[in-house]
Amino acid sequence: MSSNTPSSSAGGVGSADSAAPRRNSKRPKYSKFTQQELPACKPILTPRWVISAFMLVSIVFIPIGVVSLFASRDVVEIVDRYETACVPANFRNDKVSFIQNETTNKICTRSLTVPKRMKQPIYVYYQLDNFYQNHRRYVKSRSDSQLKDNSSWDDVSSCKPEDDANGMPIVPCGLIAWSLFNDTYNFSLNNQQLAVNKRGISWKSDRDSKFGSDVFPRNFQNGTLIGGKRLDPNVSLSEQEDLIVWMRTAALPTFRKLYGKIERDLQPNEVIQVTLENNYNTYSFNGKKRLVLSTTSWLGGKNDFLGIAYLTVGGLCFFLALSFTVVYLVKPRRLGDPSYLSWNRNPGGH
Amino acid sequence: MAIFFLSMSQKEINDEDARLVHINDPVQTNERFEFSGNSIRTGKYSILTFLPRNLFEQFHRVAYIYFLVIAVLNQLPQLAVFGRGVSILPLAFVLLVTAVKDAYEDYRRHRSDRIENNRLASVLVNDQFQQKKWKNIEVGEIIKIYANETIPCDMVLFSTSDPTGVAYVQTINLDGESNLKTRYAKQETLVKIPEKDKLDGLIKCEKPNRNIYGFQANMEVDGKRLSLGHSIKMRPQRSLKNTAWAVGVAVYAGRETKVMLNSSGAPSKRSRLETHMNLEIIFLSLFLIALCTVVSVCAAVWLRRHRDELDYLPFYRRKNFSDDGEENYNYSGWGLEICFTFLMSVIVFQVMIPISLYISMELVRVGQAYFMVRDTQMYDESSNSRFQCRALNINEDLGQIKYVFSDKTGTLTENKMEFQCASIWGVDYSGGKAISLDQKDVDGKVLRPKMKVKTDPELLQLARNGKETEEGSHVHDFFLALAACNTIVPLIIDSHDPNVKLIDYQGESPDEQALVYAAASYGFMLIERTSGHIMIDIQGERRRFNVLGLHEFDSDRKRMSVILGFPDKSVKVFVKGADTSMFSVVDRYMNKNVIRTTEAHLYSYSSLGLRTLVVGMRDLSTSEFEEWHSAFEVASTALMGRASLLRKVASNIENNLCILGASGIEDKLQQGVPEAIESLRTAGIKVWVLTGDKQETAISIGYSSKLLTSKMTQIIINSRSKESCRKSLEDAVIMSKKLTTISDTTNDTGGTSRAGLTPAALIIDGTSLVYILDSELEESLFQLACDCSVVLCCRVAPLQKAGIVALVKKRTADMTLAIGDGANDVSMIQMADVGVGISGQEGRQAVMASDFAMGQFRFLVPLLLVHGHWNYQRMGYMVLYNFYRNAVFVLVLFWYVLFTCFSLTTAITEWSSVLYSIIYTSLPTIVIGILDKDLSRRSLLKYPQLYGAGQRQECYNKKLFWITMIDTLWQSAVAFFIPLLAYWSSTIDASSIGDLWTLAVVILVNLHLAMDVMRWNWLTHAAIWGSIIATFICVIIIDSLPFLVGYWAIFEIAKTGLFWLCLLAIIVAALIPRFVVKVLYQLYVPSDVQIVRETEKFQTQTESGAVEIELSSILDTPRR
Repeated sequence: MSSNTPSSSAGGVGSADSAAPRRNSKRPKYSKFTQQELPACKPILTPRWVISAFMLVSIVFIPIGVVSLFASRDVVEIVDRYETACVPANFRNDKVSFIQNETTNKICTRSLTVPKRMKQPIYVYYQLDNFYQNHRRYVKSRSDSQLKDNSSWDDVSSCKPEDDANGMPIVPCGLIAWSLFNDTYNFSLNNQQLAVNKRGISWKSDRDSKFGSDVFPRNFQNGTLIGGKRLDPNVSLSEQEDLIVWMRTAALPTFRKLYGKIERDLQPNEVIQVTLENNYNTYSFNGKKRLVLSTTSWLGGKNDFLGIAYLTVGGLCFFLALSFTVVYLVKPRRLGDPSYLSWNRNPGGH
Repeated sequence: MAIFFLSMSQKEINDEDARLVHINDPVQTNERFEFSGNSIRTGKYSILTFLPRNLFEQFHRVAYIYFLVIAVLNQLPQLAVFGRGVSILPLAFVLLVTAVKDAYEDYRRHRSDRIENNRLASVLVNDQFQQKKWKNIEVGEIIKIYANETIPCDMVLFSTSDPTGVAYVQTINLDGESNLKTRYAKQETLVKIPEKDKLDGLIKCEKPNRNIYGFQANMEVDGKRLSLGHSIKMRPQRSLKNTAWAVGVAVYAGRETKVMLNSSGAPSKRSRLETHMNLEIIFLSLFLIALCTVVSVCAAVWLRRHRDELDYLPFYRRKNFSDDGEENYNYSGWGLEICFTFLMSVIVFQVMIPISLYISMELVRVGQAYFMVRDTQMYDESSNSRFQCRALNINEDLGQIKYVFSDKTGTLTENKMEFQCASIWGVDYSGGKAISLDQKDVDGKVLRPKMKVKTDPELLQLARNGKETEEGSHVHDFFLALAACNTIVPLIIDSHDPNVKLIDYQGESPDEQALVYAAASYGFMLIERTSGHIMIDIQGERRRFNVLGLHEFDSDRKRMSVILGFPDKSVKVFVKGADTSMFSVVDRYMNKNVIRTTEAHLYSYSSLGLRTLVVGMRDLSTSEFEEWHSAFEVASTALMGRASLLRKVASNIENNLCILGASGIEDKLQQGVPEAIESLRTAGIKVWVLTGDKQETAISIGYSSKLLTSKMTQIIINSRSKESCRKSLEDAVIMSKKLTTISDTTNDTGGTSRAGLTPAALIIDGTSLVYILDSELEESLFQLACDCSVVLCCRVAPLQKAGIVALVKKRTADMTLAIGDGANDVSMIQMADVGVGISGQEGRQAVMASDFAMGQFRFLVPLLLVHGHWNYQRMGYMVLYNFYRNAVFVLVLFWYVLFTCFSLTTAITEWSSVLYSIIYTSLPTIVIGILDKDLSRRSLLKYPQLYGAGQRQECYNKKLFWITMIDTLWQSAVAFFIPLLAYWSSTIDASSIGDLWTLAVVILVNLHLAMDVMRWNWLTHAAIWGSIIATFICVIIIDSLPFLVGYWAIFEIAKTGLFWLCLLAIIVAALIPRFVVKVLYQLYVPSDVQIVRETEKFQTQTESGAVEIELSSILDTPRR
């Protein structure tokens, strides 16, 4: 813009007068920022870019998919569903009374055949179905301060309805601890005990910082209704790893929890005898119980989903890249051609 | 009360409505009525009232009440979804930000109040002038003001240092006008010296009101009754100039002053985009209710199916055994549980209604306003004024304007008048263009008018020759009339040369200034003006004339007159006014030839685009004068209805005039107006010009501003009755139909375009509009106006301007913008969707009423085409993005609820859900909303048609909203179900997968934004990547707090490859559909904006290549 608008009226001496206010001019200072002219990159989706992007995605995704699928296939998994099999035939119609009956024999033997060579460590999981560890009432029913610190052992306000028994606070309180899984598994191979390492199955951070080493179970499972496992009152909570694992509540209604690790290789067709004590009541809500022996890969357990997902996305992108190439070759549009502008294509029209 | 006074005279009853001010007696003045003190308080709050008042004002927003209700619901133990503190945090944050902003603004107001209130003024106390703080000044006190001091309150002027009682007031603080306004003291008070003469008396004036340009009062001093006019009053925020001192009495103080009563602030409007947005928010609320209903119905079914198991279900355990009796824990029966579930789901899904959107919009608008104000291209050099954003909530409307209603004078034109030609006694003098260097010698010093006017040599010669010839005497009378019949005040100012003094003519009407300068150039130099006399230097000879009476200009009479007593005791009245009003009072039987030729000249002047004024005069006989004088005295002392009485007196004397001649004044078009109008019209904006000028003037300005072209067919409607109006409208409609059908046939046959269309221009005058507006004819006028490409309304009154705007506004959904500079445009500016004020010559009334103010008409082009386009595009995108952003998050929460027995557990920690819209995702949308640009300024100005994007609502409409919502559904499903399936029957715990979902959603929405960003500058990069990093940091901090459930979860899960693969898969899979659709749209259904973006990108390449071409001229095909 021309800086000095020739004012038609001000003549001769008058211009000297008008120069005075210009000294404290309000003219905005020019800067690239205030004029919105900061140097900027202006990406445009050109066909070349789009096709390369799709190609790039498929080049990255398809190998990842293949690798994940292989990783998942490499995992050897033995799954044994036992909640019905471990109920004697005469109790099959009323499993709840079987499990609630203190006197019935809960011991049950299962034999598992190793399908393929399993390299150590072999993880032993129990899997529960239809158990909503993520239910709002359930997840709230715990007291983190109590678990951590012996001095706040009576802080059970958030633990209802399992806050105290016989007028005394429960340590550890709450529904989560109360419902601690209490089936036990004993493994033997060729009549030889197969050692299960139950140490180090929980997060180190939990053992160190969430569960106190000076907090001992107190008044636990003394209430009217026994929910699950009893805890040794002489072992501090930070060493009760089953509890620590259990109290990391599962995200989904079908979940596994680590039971222990078998630290030796298993050969194909070996038969493992499992002596299990079927104590845990999942019958009242039709929950399923499974025993799982599994190796792991870098990707975790056996799950083909991610591999398939990657292959699908990669394949789709490949297909899209191809079709865009074809479409672009068949019907190209010159980018930035002003003749495509609406008023040039159809002047005056709408 | 009323009965009691019934017997009394009219005037006395009116005393009830009057304010009585006892001069120099504040005690008595304030005795009966509690007049407000002079301390002003523009601040809204005090420290004590800040919290309650500010909260009260903030909660006027429905959205805030919604969030308050939710926060309160959450406090009920039954419904406590979030922790107590967490649930209040978002609302508290928003309230806090707004409160801090308000507090800061208020603090600034308080500070300026304090400075104002503690300024000093000298006040007469015990017959001595003493310094007193402004806030202590009371009504009735006598105040003395020295030169360059600011006037503390509304006061009535008594006397000044000037023996004639003139005070000059500068209003630059009030309205930025630097010319001086004059105020006169009354002769009766002039002689008093406040310290010695006991001044007492009574002023009766109106109650405080908002009328800036009127003041009615009378004063009794020493038993005499004097009328006080407007010109006697002075208002605060003005400063005294060129006068050593002035004394006056305070009549209105503090917040009762006219300035305070008028500072009402900008009107609050709501932008169209926001209105649409509120509709979409209702959709979202319905969607929210639907989600909650789904959850509660599912929960109901689940509870019913498991009703027998609930007691012992390990994860439900309805029975509480710990206490003595076996009772239900936290269970209130099936029905209530469902209710609670519903309310809890509302709490969990609350962010579906984006609370942060409101505050983001405010911040974005502030940012946009900042850039508009700082735009150097909208800075006006000549008036040293920046663009002003007075309304902060309609920025985006600027991108959707369809109709522009423009005033002419001062808006299209500069309102700097230049005398061009004159017709005197039937002779046209419009030939010469010479600047005379004529100088007058007065007191040994040379006096010269500040502004030179080109003179006609022949006329100059005639004027110099004096009254000898008949011709010469007419010329003499004509210029005498020009020099005398006005309200101009001459100011003598120093120049560089000590021997030369300049005369600067100060006045409120630019026309008058031009005329007086012209008279001065022809040797009739006005040198001095007081309320009693004027001094005119006629060809070097000083003559003194008594001003016996002055009838000011008003818009009804459209003329003004002055009664001069000549040195030879003869009395003459000079009248000057618009031609229509003048010819009705001219003696038709005298000098018929002169009248006819003058009329012809007037016609030719106005077709040149000149503003015309007719000058007449008449000798008054002594009896006539006496009669007038007594009538004038009566009228001017009347307290009520004085204006109409004065008008009547004026009409009685302004008749049977002898015509002297006419003047033609050129009002130059502002710089760049034709180009601006051209741009606006190319942009598909209809420009209507509404002017008070004559039809011929309007048409000629129309031509010179390229509004009208010779190709256009003009449809002119000038009717004097309703019937003829109807008829001409019908004819016009038929005619415009014919024109469009002709163009249609050319369209069909030639297949060319509407370019062959003969566009029609509608020209209609105010008298016809009187019959059309507010009658059944409105509809056909609207139809006609829509068919015409140009509409010119001339001779329209201010209210008619508003009526025309309303006519369009009522009938279409299109946005209207009104632009004007004068007080007569205020109603139009307020009526239109967007009001723009030009801060020009005619004062600040238009600016005060406007939403945006600027210095020149041509700034409308960058304002609409560039900033309007950007603002609209940014705001539209931001609103959609905010809907999407919150909905994705809510839907992820919703999907999870389906896997938790509908118990409204969230895997995402409550802290993350709160921080989501505050920290994780808020900054990028604000930065993008302020800084993103789809196109550069150059392209937008080069292709004005791009403005159509806003008019067609391309950036925000229902279709886009629903597409966005479908996309949202897909993205949330991907973000939720990929981890769900990948981690099904694994050892994953809720906190870890919650962290995965949090990060996935945050990265997803930020990359979604990144995909749509059109210009990446460093701020954009910082905001987007910074937000993602900030989210990681926040999640890490939250997971490092041992007392929270999710302790260390992020570190455990981040160790696994599955986590990262899930993140990658989510982001790619979620964005693919949007990307594909976007690419397809851009490549095969490209919008204009898209094409120009490409042009922009590739042309910069070709331009840089162009240098090479010049150098080598080998590359003849530019790279594409």
